[in-house]
Amino acid sequence: MMKIGIDVGGTYTDAVLLDGSRLVEWAKTPTQPDNLLASLTGALDQILQVKGAGGITRVTISTTIITNLVVEEKYEPVALILIPGPGYNPKAWRLAPETRIIKGAVDFRGKIIQEIIQDEVLTVIKDLADKGFSKLAVVGKFSIRNPILEERVREIILGRYPDWEVELGHTTAGHLNFPRRAATTVLTAATKAKYARFVRQVEDAVRERKISAPIYVLKADGGTVPLGKSVHHPVDTIFSGPAASVLGALAMTGEQETGVVVDMGGTTTDLALILAGQPLVASQGAPIGHYKTQVRAFAVTSVALGGDSGLRVEDGQLKLDSRRYGPAACLGGPGPTPTDAFRVLALTDIGDLSLARGSMAELGAGLGLTPEEAAEEVAQLVTSRMVEVIEEMFRVWQEEPAYRLWEILHKAVERPRNIIGVGGAAVIVDRVAKAMGCTGFLPLHGRVANAVGAALAQPSVVVTLRADSQRGFYNIEEEGIQLPLPEGRDFKLADGVKLAEEWLKKRGQALGVEVALEEREVVRQEVFNLVRGHGTVGRIIDIIIQTPWKIEGLLEQQTMAAGRGGENHE
Amino acid sequence: MNKPTGLVFFPAFDWAISPTHPEREERLLYTRDQIFEEGILDLPEIVEYKPRLATVRDVARIHTCVPTVAKQTTEAHLVAAGGALVLADALMKGEIRNGFALVRPPGHHAMRMVHGNRGFCNINNEAIMVQYLRQKYGVKRIAIVDTDVHHGDGTQEIFWHDPDVLFISFHQDGRTLYPGTGFINEMGGPRAYGSTINIPLPPETGDDGLLYVLDNLILPIIREFQPDLIVNSAGQDNHYTDPLANMQITAQGYALLNKLLKPHLAVLEGGYAVESALPYVNLGIILAMAGLDFSHVVEPDNDPDRLEQKLEITEYISNVVNRLQADWRNREKLADRQLSPGQEFYERNKSIFYDTDYIQEEQLERLRICDHCPGYFSIETKAGGNGAKNSALAITVPIQACERCQREAHQLYREAKARREVDYIYLQENVDDLYQVFDCHKGIESIQE
Ligand SMILES: [Zn+2]
Ligand SMILES: [Zn+2]
Repeated sequence: MMKIGIDVGGTYTDAVLLDGSRLVEWAKTPTQPDNLLASLTGALDQILQVKGAGGITRVTISTTIITNLVVEEKYEPVALILIPGPGYNPKAWRLAPETRIIKGAVDFRGKIIQEIIQDEVLTVIKDLADKGFSKLAVVGKFSIRNPILEERVREIILGRYPDWEVELGHTTAGHLNFPRRAATTVLTAATKAKYARFVRQVEDAVRERKISAPIYVLKADGGTVPLGKSVHHPVDTIFSGPAASVLGALAMTGEQETGVVVDMGGTTTDLALILAGQPLVASQGAPIGHYKTQVRAFAVTSVALGGDSGLRVEDGQLKLDSRRYGPAACLGGPGPTPTDAFRVLALTDIGDLSLARGSMAELGAGLGLTPEEAAEEVAQLVTSRMVEVIEEMFRVWQEEPAYRLWEILHKAVERPRNIIGVGGAAVIVDRVAKAMGCTGFLPLHGRVANAVGAALAQPSVVVTLRADSQRGFYNIEEEGIQLPLPEGRDFKLADGVKLAEEWLKKRGQALGVEVALEEREVVRQEVFNLVRGHGTVGRIIDIIIQTPWKIEGLLEQQTMAAGRGGENHE
Repeated sequence: MNKPTGLVFFPAFDWAISPTHPEREERLLYTRDQIFEEGILDLPEIVEYKPRLATVRDVARIHTCVPTVAKQTTEAHLVAAGGALVLADALMKGEIRNGFALVRPPGHHAMRMVHGNRGFCNINNEAIMVQYLRQKYGVKRIAIVDTDVHHGDGTQEIFWHDPDVLFISFHQDGRTLYPGTGFINEMGGPRAYGSTINIPLPPETGDDGLLYVLDNLILPIIREFQPDLIVNSAGQDNHYTDPLANMQITAQGYALLNKLLKPHLAVLEGGYAVESALPYVNLGIILAMAGLDFSHVVEPDNDPDRLEQKLEITEYISNVVNRLQADWRNREKLADRQLSPGQEFYERNKSIFYDTDYIQEEQLERLRICDHCPGYFSIETKAGGNGAKNSALAITVPIQACERCQREAHQLYREAKARREVDYIYLQENVDDLYQVFDCHKGIESIQE
């Protein structure tokens, strides 16, 4: 089992070649922001240099392409048509530069309470055509409960402009949140074509290297999807970098406890919660640029603090800047940074020691401290900031709203036990751990954690089912479909679970994954008796089931205690 | 930026009185769906809080649960009350501009003495919150406006003798609806006369009538009373589709009410049109409290022509308002008539029926008439039927009590303990924040906390 993992990150591109659970080859190269494909193939070629491409069974990539496209607004203009029905004034949302609101409404049970008016749609699209739009997102409130109105609008649009690209809200994302569905749909429409082109280039590049193994792409929730399938939901791949680093850290430490993965970069540090060995999935979708989306992602907190953060003295107090003024002084940068402090404290050996000392001397002058004392002060400041952020993450998790009695009564108070450092966090992990009474871990191959995480990630399948036995329909939110219930009014919870399982298998097959039903996890199951007048007229059943979250095995030579070596980090 | 509106959403999806009871799991399901689908929890104007369990002491501050708080409450009750307390804390800490506890089960029919469940309520969420605000944060004057279609008889009874809590309830006339009380002449105890206001409205009262009552009666009285805080006991069964009542209020009416009333804290009460009203009314209230645009919150079947208020109803309401305006102006004169000169105690008998639990309770309430404070009071109670067979004496020392009243109340408690004539004796000491119970059969005294 030879597996390749490639992570095209914002700063570096990592690649690894694993033989079973053994790391055989690895590479780390700077990412070329204008040419992600070249960054990817460059790293790939490095790891193939020695052993060649024979026997490779799987390639998994994680990429920042969508993030880059969105943040840099390198996409074609998309117009948004909303079908909001009653509720909060839809004009208050700023979801797309060109938004049109039309009549039509679906309610929470998927009942159509107002039909689409064809003439109104025709007038709107004529106007959009005049303005030069040909990409549209059409999003209705409660469309995941009944997609008919969105489909009707698409029919009308394609009847008039057959070559327009129309993205419908119910197909892009599940879960109740109309504005997030709209944002996700707009981003999908905006990035789909460019992403599809990137996917074709990646496929060609991999095949050119005589690798015929299936190619997967990592999603923000730590699951993988076949590269070809990912073109339908390109935005799911945003934030796969942090997911890769969490998976990598878990694969390298075998973490089964509650802890935090700390990934420190030049300007930001990503922190992720692990609860009893499982990465915490955020309760809300991931934000991308100024958009709030419905993309399922690990709960990763990013703080503007990294090895290159600026340092200054203000009113006799040492302050950390959220800005980066340049590289560390020891690497020829303009001023003191945490990296310089770490260099003086011999926590790292990059750059020039005398330059680092010089910057600490300059900083110490304002504080009445020697360079060593100033460096210690900086390390303590960085440590206490990290501790603050970690404590806040746990507090927020504990305070997450709960809607059922048992959740409020049974939510255990968890404290972190382990702090795992990857990326540049090596230098600080044992200090953070000590301050929190935890154990620090520093994986041996932490610098390529992301690529290792990608290589070992597994496909994931989730099904959210709502059945309404009075109306005789059920919805699968991830598919955006509504179908008649097989057993009418006698539909019970057990029938719902069975139906959800069928869909889990079906969705798995579509993703090229064999779903083992005995392993499936029921995340939620709720039954609501529908009482009208004096009798029960039916039930609403909500079920969420998923394949268990997992990685494929642990990496051999897992960990080294923090502070006792490890590798040097940039 | 302005401070956000705090929201506690506790739909208790795993709790019901019984599977087909109106107070069941399904009640806030569509409200949840609507609020989530609107995406408004993503707005900076709204911040969601997690409820906590109210403590025994939180409950004992206002209720005498016979025999114990634990016996009369389930965890769901404690979470519903605790949800309101979380928002009270957030408000007093200055984190939020106002807050809405969207919780169930409701509470406004629960009285001071609790032998069981009446009108779907065991403990009174607003009253517990109000007393918490006074004892923990020293808030002096609070106005509660009960906007449920049913008379808030529990809340009224709890604060009947309290001049610092203004309780205003508008509701469908008690001659046509449960609990059959809340008439114009119910204006509070002799030392708190005028701090209870009841506005019985005729069936088919619409948004116009509601806003008329608000502008001409409720808001002027509140302005005169000068409360430090306003609480909305936010029932939603005045809605034109509610199955248990006959009013014509819309989601717009409820939203406007909250926009004008500007409650600091709102706590959900009744409302049983789970599909046709609650999702829209709750959304309207949240948006109004958060200062957001609620003009598009309109029920799908809302027909303005059909919901237009009839002329005779408009006239009837204006008569009720005139009468109450006059009584409010004359409240001091009317209060004097309640007592004779030199009278030391004021007594009243109460007969209370717990409709959910089929318990009949008889009470004798005695208020000490004092020139220095609102006076301490005692309730002698005997309950029978459906398994409940308890007698008790509960003595309450109100938070404003003078030293003499406090002394006398403690004396009464000691004497009653010596006599052991009832099953349980309670001392509800709001000045010292101490809640004692004496089990006469076991001869054991304990503190409720
Ligand atoms: Zn009610
Ligand atoms: Zn007194």
